Amino acid sequence: MTIRFTVNGVDFELPDSRGQETLLDFLHHELNLTGTKLCCGIGVCRACTVQVVKPPSPAPSPTISCSTALATLDGTQVSTIESVARGGRPDPVQQAFLDQFAFQCGYCAPGFVMAARMFLSGLQAQPVPPDQLEAAMMEAIGSHICRCTGYVRYFEALRSLAEAVNAGEAIEL
Amino acid sequence: MAPPPVSNAAPMTRRGFLKTASGIIGLSVLGLPGRGQGAGAGVSTPLGPVPGVAAQRIEGLAKVTGQKIYARDFRAGDMAGWPDHQWHALYLRARTTQEAFLGLDLAPLPPEAAPTRVILGSDLDPRLFDAPVQFERDLHVDDLLSAKAAEQEKAAKDGSFNLPDGLSFDLLVMPGTTPNFLGQAVALLLFDSLAAYRAARRFLAGDDGIVQHYGPGEGPDGTPLPDHPFDPRTLYVKDPGFDYAGTDAETYAREAPGVQARIRKALDEATGLIRQPIRAEMRAMDPMFMEPEAGLAWIDPARREMQLVLGTQSPDGDLRNIASMFGSAGSPVPELSHVTLHSCYPGGGFGGRDSSPFSLMLALAVAFADGNPVRLAYDRFEQFRVGLKRHATTAEGTLYAHDDMRLEAVQLSMSFDGGGRRNLSPYVASLGALCAGGSYRLPVADIHAEALHTENISGGSQRGFGGPQAYFAIETALDDLAAAQGWDPMALRRANLIAEGDTTVTGGPIEQSLSLPEMLDIAAAHPLWAERAEIRAAHEAEGRTYGTGLAMSLQAYGTSGDGMVAAVHLERDGTLTVQSDAVDMGNGSATTLGVTIGPILGANATRVEMGGYTLFPQTGLSDDSDNPDRWDDPMWTQKGTGSSSACLTGLHQVNTVQQTAQALLRGSLLVAAARLWGGGPLSPEDVVWDAGALRPAGGIGAPLTLAALAEVVHEMGLPTGALGHAYFQNVWVEADFDTPGGALRLQLDGLAYYHGSKTAPQPIPRRDGSYPAPETARYSRYVWAPCVNVVGLTLDRASGRVQVENVLSVLNAGHIHVPELVSGQSQGGVAMAISYSLLEDMPPGMEGPADGRWNLNRYHVARAGDVPLGDRYVPGARAQELITLPPPPDSPRVGRGIAEAVMCSIPPAISNALRDATGVRFASLPMTPDKILGGLAP
Repeated sequence: MTIRFTVNGVDFELPDSRGQETLLDFLHHELNLTGTKLCCGIGVCRACTVQVVKPPSPAPSPTISCSTALATLDGTQVSTIESVARGGRPDPVQQAFLDQFAFQCGYCAPGFVMAARMFLSGLQAQPVPPDQLEAAMMEAIGSHICRCTGYVRYFEALRSLAEAVNAGEAIEL
Repeated sequence: MAPPPVSNAAPMTRRGFLKTASGIIGLSVLGLPGRGQGAGAGVSTPLGPVPGVAAQRIEGLAKVTGQKIYARDFRAGDMAGWPDHQWHALYLRARTTQEAFLGLDLAPLPPEAAPTRVILGSDLDPRLFDAPVQFERDLHVDDLLSAKAAEQEKAAKDGSFNLPDGLSFDLLVMPGTTPNFLGQAVALLLFDSLAAYRAARRFLAGDDGIVQHYGPGEGPDGTPLPDHPFDPRTLYVKDPGFDYAGTDAETYAREAPGVQARIRKALDEATGLIRQPIRAEMRAMDPMFMEPEAGLAWIDPARREMQLVLGTQSPDGDLRNIASMFGSAGSPVPELSHVTLHSCYPGGGFGGRDSSPFSLMLALAVAFADGNPVRLAYDRFEQFRVGLKRHATTAEGTLYAHDDMRLEAVQLSMSFDGGGRRNLSPYVASLGALCAGGSYRLPVADIHAEALHTENISGGSQRGFGGPQAYFAIETALDDLAAAQGWDPMALRRANLIAEGDTTVTGGPIEQSLSLPEMLDIAAAHPLWAERAEIRAAHEAEGRTYGTGLAMSLQAYGTSGDGMVAAVHLERDGTLTVQSDAVDMGNGSATTLGVTIGPILGANATRVEMGGYTLFPQTGLSDDSDNPDRWDDPMWTQKGTGSSSACLTGLHQVNTVQQTAQALLRGSLLVAAARLWGGGPLSPEDVVWDAGALRPAGGIGAPLTLAALAEVVHEMGLPTGALGHAYFQNVWVEADFDTPGGALRLQLDGLAYYHGSKTAPQPIPRRDGSYPAPETARYSRYVWAPCVNVVGLTLDRASGRVQVENVLSVLNAGHIHVPELVSGQSQGGVAMAISYSLLEDMPPGMEGPADGRWNLNRYHVARAGDVPLGDRYVPGARAQELITLPPPPDSPRVGRGIAEAVMCSIPPAISNALRDATGVRFASLPMTPDKILGGLAP
């Protein structure tokens, strides 16, 4: 038996014996994809958030890579922060975070980017009443820990995008 | 795959040398080009086209795309010239200070978790003790000189200064000896495979006591004894006839106790003075920077060179400490000739990476790795267990006031829990003592502060550096005084504001504009304060308990003498590069330094290279304190470089870069422009920068782009770059320098010009220097970042939960270079302060993180829901509004401290708001729901 999954579109097949390894260790030590960060290692701070799609559902879900065993990823498609910018050009979320000076040390930024992207994808699929947008944002990124910035600028950056997406504006994620 | 670092792209410039028992060890600190402080791995993020304005953080794109590489991300295989295979290090930690550590029994470890090597204290040469870490960051200048003299005396006696009699605890506890503190390393386990290391970590997670044995034994050895203070202790006594600043060190030490007794007697006997008790206590706090400490090390056998990859706020000091340790008698690497530190971008710092013992532990590990590279990477449990903390503190004393609101005296004793290692703790306590005078004119002071050696986790430099504890004590007592006397808390503060011409509790003069009355005016007029009664009524109408609190802080920043170095280069294509010795922990220093040259040189920097500790040797200056000529030697300076902080960037580093840019402008660019325009010599007043080109001010002449100027500069052999060193001690050292543009007077004590090369500039001896008056060395601090905070909060009386509804911060930040960075720093300070005040609870001893089981599931830090997210006050909504004072007209384009200034007075403002809401003083941080419910209980 093997574990099959993709990371940023590349296929991997691993023996079952590696099932207890965490996704984060695999990304770091096997693939040298170090953009996903380790902070608490127990899934609280969400710095290590990646996107996982598990067919048949096409909906991406934020996944805590530090606490996710490879065994649970069979059949999934994993996307990390390295897959977001195209040709070095930031995506709309990354650009908004840049424009708003949303982060400082930057260690938490990849996790915020991944969570914000999935939130906006969800909004594209299913908008929420405008008066629930703030609560939806809090649900999406409110559990992420940032020690430097105090969160204000992350929310300012995401708010403008969320309002646009929720209003039906096309934003390519 | 991320590209490998080009670790040897920067020239191997010797930073300096350290004389040791075993010879001389060379020291180098290198950045990691392409993976370091600049643009990052292959991505370029220019600051934008408008000179002096930052469109984004210079390293922002690398960070937001996951390309920024931190120390934790490196593997040996990434390092050019290193072996590919690396070992992994794991330290086992002391679990008691009541019994002796007897040894290990690793039999319970499963076979797959067996270490390759086990190192105990008995495997170290008994002469190798803990390094005498060089705490230059906040030593008073006179203390620094005393320490140096003591070092030399000891070196003469012992042949090494690395065998201190007093302040040394073993790096690894000697079996049979009682540990000095919880978390002290008792054993080093080395693994030659990642799999074995992981297996061991998994097995030992949560209880590494399973392999440790304790019982009767000796010790603990070393001094100070438990619950005794680390040296030095701070005593500031001040009355009209005596103070610290106005008395030489020897006389002060002799006479201060007598003056203290005189002050106490006078206060005891005084009639008509109101006496307000001061009583406060605070838990320790973890900086909780996001990246747990990690690093790599390898000893190159061919070059006898130790190389380290590390993210630190004090690269220079770390490196010297390592060299000192390995240069001492008994070194496990006796033939070491060079130590090189590859300084990485830290994932947060807040002072927690300033003089951290981590670097020593990494260096110790590699000494036993049989020539293999070693990775030491704390997980969060370990970071909580041993990482430096903000000190738990108690403060007790009395405020004395007249019945017309005038403060007469403060008597205060502050005790900081320094924990196991001395670190910077006595100096944190010392600054706390200075801050205890608050923002107020105090004719009489009797302030004692000390840091105790205890079994707890070591304290260290943390954001605020003693200020948070001191301001919490003094600002809550002021509100209690106001409440007891029926005074308005703002009126009480206004009646006592310190101003230019007054003196601090050290007796040192205030010589900087503070604008405290104007700041209080702004706070008083703001609806959060002015309409507090109406806001309270509105909340109460809906069943919520609401209160408003006010507090001030006057955070000192810098040290009692700061040296900085910076370079500005004009590339042949007309782009500009800034280099600085400062480290950017995320605070925006690189971005700020990159734009601060814009108005001077017509463009922002395209590249900013931080952590440039190779710069100081290039100046040709010496900071050898043995130099008898001192300032009379045109190539001598008081201090080369120091540690980094955002506050130091705002004033010190910015001014150094600006002055260096002026040297390049006037000594090179204007000479080239004069040649092209065909006129006489030009001064800055003769030209303007317009749309990226230099034009004659009001005259006729073709606009000259930087690229065109650069071409001529290179052709004429004019300087292509300038390297400036500055020293600040109440005033900047100023001097004349002979340049191709004529004699320039600059706020620099060292200047050198590059001609093409970026590594070998030509130093220019200074002339006609003006220097700090010697007595200013005892002022303690010279520059201040004042802040007034108003907090409005609600309390759920059923749960005891507090919600901060609004924060108003009125900040005197000086000139603001990048408004987004200033407000971002402020917002970070607000969040950290709310977290410190209400959430972060860390018991001492094995009840707390010293047991190795603490993580973010038990230690709660503020999340988005805990802080107001709006940035403008709107009635009925939650916001944190920052109002910055405009800098005085014609003032220099330099800033002041930000985050720590904002942070320091929020905890007392929260406590004062709770008192306003409930009538009960909560003087113990954090103010948890349990404490609040207990305080409200009838």
